[in-house]
Amino acid sequence: MTALIEMRDIVKVYPNGVVANDRVNFSIERGEIHALVGENGAGKTTLMKILYGMEQPTSGQIFLDGKAQHFRSSHDAIAAGIGMVHQNFMLVPSFTVAENVVLGQEPTRRGFIEAKRATEITEQLAQQYGLRVEADAIVDSINVGMRQRVEILKTLYRGAQILILDEPTAVLTPQETQELFNAVHALVQQGKTVIFITHKLREVKEISDRVSVMRGGKMMGTLPTVEATREGLARMMVGRDVFLTVNKPPCKRGKRVMEVRDLSYITETGRTMLHKVSFNIYAGEILGIAGVEGNGQTELVEVLTGLRSAASGEARIGGKVVTNRTPREVRMASVAHIPEDRLTNGLALTASIDENLIVDRYFLPPYRKGLVIDYKQVESMGRELIKKFDIRTPTGKLPVNSLSGGNMQKVIVAREFSSSPELLIAAQPTRGIDVGATEFIRDQLVQKRTEGTAILLVSADLAEVMSLSDRIIVLYEGEITGVFPDASKVSEEEIGLYMLGLRRQTREEMEAYL
Amino acid sequence: MSFDHILKAIFSALFLANILRISTPLILPALGGLVTDLAGATNIALEGIMLVAAFTGVVVSAYTKSVTAGILCGILSGVLISALLAYFYLYLKTDVFLAGIAINIMATGGTIFLLYILTGDKGNSSKLASGMAPIVHIPLIKDIPFLGTVLSGHNIFTYAAFLLTWLVAIFLYRTPLGTHLRAAGENPEAAATLGIDVKQTQLIAFLMSGFLASLGGLNLSMAYLTLFQREMTAGRGFIALAAVYLGGRKPWGTLIAAMIFGFADALSNQLASLEIPSQLVQSIPYVVTIIALVVYALQKRAQLIERTRRFQERELAKSGGGATGS
Amino acid sequence: MSTIRKILAIRAVREFLRIFLAVFAALVLGFLITLAVSKQPIEAYKAFLLGPVSRFNRFGDWIEESITLILLGLAVSLAFRAKQFSLGQDGQMLMGALVSGSIALFVPLPFLLRVPLALLAAMLVGFIWGYIPGYLKAHLDANEIVSTLMLNTIALKIYDYFLIFWIKPPGAGYNASDFFPVEGKLPTFLPALPFIADLQKRFADHTNITIMLYLMIIAIVVAFFLMFRTPFGYELRTVGANIKFARYGGIDTKKTIILVFAVSGIFAGLAGAHLAMGIHTKLIANITVGLGFEGIVVAIMARNNPLFVPIAGLAYGYLRAGADVMERASDVSREMVLVIQAIIILLVTAERILPMVQQVITARRQAAAGAAEMTEGENNVV
Repeated sequence: MTALIEMRDIVKVYPNGVVANDRVNFSIERGEIHALVGENGAGKTTLMKILYGMEQPTSGQIFLDGKAQHFRSSHDAIAAGIGMVHQNFMLVPSFTVAENVVLGQEPTRRGFIEAKRATEITEQLAQQYGLRVEADAIVDSINVGMRQRVEILKTLYRGAQILILDEPTAVLTPQETQELFNAVHALVQQGKTVIFITHKLREVKEISDRVSVMRGGKMMGTLPTVEATREGLARMMVGRDVFLTVNKPPCKRGKRVMEVRDLSYITETGRTMLHKVSFNIYAGEILGIAGVEGNGQTELVEVLTGLRSAASGEARIGGKVVTNRTPREVRMASVAHIPEDRLTNGLALTASIDENLIVDRYFLPPYRKGLVIDYKQVESMGRELIKKFDIRTPTGKLPVNSLSGGNMQKVIVAREFSSSPELLIAAQPTRGIDVGATEFIRDQLVQKRTEGTAILLVSADLAEVMSLSDRIIVLYEGEITGVFPDASKVSEEEIGLYMLGLRRQTREEMEAYL
Repeated sequence: MSFDHILKAIFSALFLANILRISTPLILPALGGLVTDLAGATNIALEGIMLVAAFTGVVVSAYTKSVTAGILCGILSGVLISALLAYFYLYLKTDVFLAGIAINIMATGGTIFLLYILTGDKGNSSKLASGMAPIVHIPLIKDIPFLGTVLSGHNIFTYAAFLLTWLVAIFLYRTPLGTHLRAAGENPEAAATLGIDVKQTQLIAFLMSGFLASLGGLNLSMAYLTLFQREMTAGRGFIALAAVYLGGRKPWGTLIAAMIFGFADALSNQLASLEIPSQLVQSIPYVVTIIALVVYALQKRAQLIERTRRFQERELAKSGGGATGS
Repeated sequence: MSTIRKILAIRAVREFLRIFLAVFAALVLGFLITLAVSKQPIEAYKAFLLGPVSRFNRFGDWIEESITLILLGLAVSLAFRAKQFSLGQDGQMLMGALVSGSIALFVPLPFLLRVPLALLAAMLVGFIWGYIPGYLKAHLDANEIVSTLMLNTIALKIYDYFLIFWIKPPGAGYNASDFFPVEGKLPTFLPALPFIADLQKRFADHTNITIMLYLMIIAIVVAFFLMFRTPFGYELRTVGANIKFARYGGIDTKKTIILVFAVSGIFAGLAGAHLAMGIHTKLIANITVGLGFEGIVVAIMARNNPLFVPIAGLAYGYLRAGADVMERASDVSREMVLVIQAIIILLVTAERILPMVQQVITARRQAAAGAAEMTEGENNVV
């Protein structure tokens, strides 16, 4: 008997040379719930985008019911009965639930939309699959869980037999997650097939029939869920072939620089992203935050740097509160910040390199002289930093968008490092940049720390966190679940168990090391 | 000139009829502005489209001696101008707002330029014997005393304005294309994933906008007046745009907002005869529009703050009980 | 280092070329239109292109007009550079004219106090009339296009109201004030020195080129320094380049936006004072007519750079003045210049046009150079 879907020898190489999928084989049986797990960047989403027709494989084939398919766009995939629910919802906020469900294929009579029938269709689908929605509610007013159910209904309305859910629980509260699981079971009972992408091993055990693990663009294996242990899966996910070697002198921990107490952050839509987080950062150490993406790291960084407001709790630097202050006030308290999204936050692409370098200091001497900015100073500083940080450009007068990704990141690093901060918060400092620039930036981080700067490092790359950090905190679902005072004495597997929520230290165990 | 006097004037049938007459050249372009706005682009060129249509209608009707031909050509010219704007915006990536300004300038200059060539006069087209759109006397209603004066005896554009408000509402909310248009304006990415051609939809919106604004322009030159005057739109295209916002981006809301502007205009005419400064009355709708912008923004923000606070309280209360367990 | 200069020079040249080509293309199109409609197209176009320098008073018209255009262009450049689409220059100009004109007419101060006071008041009222939409945008996220257009009309109504009910002489059958007394007029730009007395008299008799010329030059320098040398200018440009980056970097983006609108208003207010106290020397109805969006054209041609605004303003003022001459000298009306103006805006701002033209050119060049390259070999390294 042939599998429902068979993806054979899928290779995907992006134009920038990144190999996202390396000869991946993946097969799905009819009527199963198949979990697809792996770290960020393991290639799961790319594989699913290929299946959904959004990306074209460099080589390899897709078979549906044994017949070779060639999806040129997602329309082809939809026509073949494949539906995908993306992480960021594709809904029209001012439309009702029913209008969103039928959008693009509205039921009509003599050219007019039959709103009633749209509602009926939605309600009927919702009932059939146990996806509780209010068909006439405006999407803008419903919660995230219901929005997700609307997305699922959209695919079902379009006749999807195979549903791809891309990290569907990442945005859900625990109750909503439970509801989603019930719905997924109902879908399968009625003959649908579900591919469920996740990071969370607890969910894998709870929901799936089989599980496939990807790592570094390769398929590590597929096994029935009953045979899989969480520990075994964790090893498959985070075990590494290549270890990073970073030469760093031993840590000389200095005075406490930042103190974070009971910090909580809640989103506008009511999701708790940080829950009573407390820790300290000391001079001369790199404190790494390990965790699967979406467990509160982004929010932690942005609350600490003044870009978001804390719901409760506070952070202090030398006794001065820096939470719920403006970014300027935070920076003036000697905090530097390498943002995780350099293109939206970290740079003004059309402005010159020099002008990108002075955003945190243009109003301070020696750059400001009286009423004006001394551009001679700015230029000479630019020249110096371009040289010191090896930014590949003939001059600082060129716009940043003339640089490569790695050199753009170096502009940010140059600015943030040269402000001689007491605390440097580095979020994803090497994401998506070339090997040379990555190495350079890592060396710079270590050097800064050795000179006595306190560094908070957030990275989705566990190897990076492990090799650079002196001390590691694990963030899981917005809470600190483990702390490792000596990063060199802990294995990736062990951290992986904490990252995936399988283990957790007690408050007492952690207290002394936070 | 007592207060009583003013009240009487306001509630006279002629005054109410006047509001309808004055509002018509605002309602039609406002509907055009609404359609493009909902499709995700601000059509700042309503003014220019109206001018071109007003001019073409007069000239063609004068030379062909056919009002119908004048109206049809006027519409065609307005739609073409709107298509030009759409081409620059959608396909040459010009900023929609700068391109719109360019179209307005071109329309202002072009119409005067051609008017001078055709008539040797730069002020108006009085030398051309242009046509006048028919006036409709509604049977039965026209004989009812008060109501007859208010509702009957208007030109076809006034009736078209109301009819078109209804049709635009149906189009936007009851037809697939209208729904796609709103979806493309609000979340183009989502619309695109569902197989909606966003650019094409926006192009259609611009063509419709051109059609509606053209009617507004033709109303000015073939009904409101029966000649073309230089710059005769006098900012109506911009007021129409404000009416869209004041009306909450809804067809009937837009109609009502346009009529509020019409009311203020009619009132100021009325008051001018009573030696009350009409300028101050005329500025009321503009002040109201700004206030509406402010109120709308404050409301939205209050809602957001309230919602966030509610969520935060709930979450904090919930976690307060369970946190000790971990 | 020469490569650096080369790169920067190439960029500048390309930018200049783009605008030059747009203007040239628009002028050619204008000529084609003239050919089509005029019985004397050559005379008409000659008058259009040479008119402003053909006579003394025409030269004066050109310069006067350009002063207004340049001040407006500066106002728009400041706002647009920060990506704030303020269309409020018309209202700010009206308020500036109203306030400065009222002071010129009614405040019983000597010349040396009255004129500066009037100018300052015009600038202040422009600031305020810009502050309002700025505040609405920064704190309430209100669409600035709508709010500034509304404020323009409100300003017009206020202007008309004061003109008709308070300022115009009682019983006058026209809507205009008396001419300003000499204490309230801007003096001619040339001082009455003995050795240039003749020249001075000619200027004073035939033109309204006033000391506003010097104020304009100061305004250009101030705008340039403000934009490119001060912390505020840096904030303005950074907000325009990427507002999220500005916020991340610690810039108070709300304050910056408000100030951008308000400071832009100062220049438009000054343009209003120029209309009232320099050109018309009285307050008239529709004093800003035909100027509403002209500042935008100038700013677009100058790529929102104060340093290029005078060039763009003079060039555009020249076209406008030339069109006037053409109208008087031929059967082509001056409004043709508006068509040319529209074409310039469209060609300069259409992002796809230059790449398209370039593609065609390189394709041709490659086809032509194909043979040559074969023999030259591969030593032409970039």
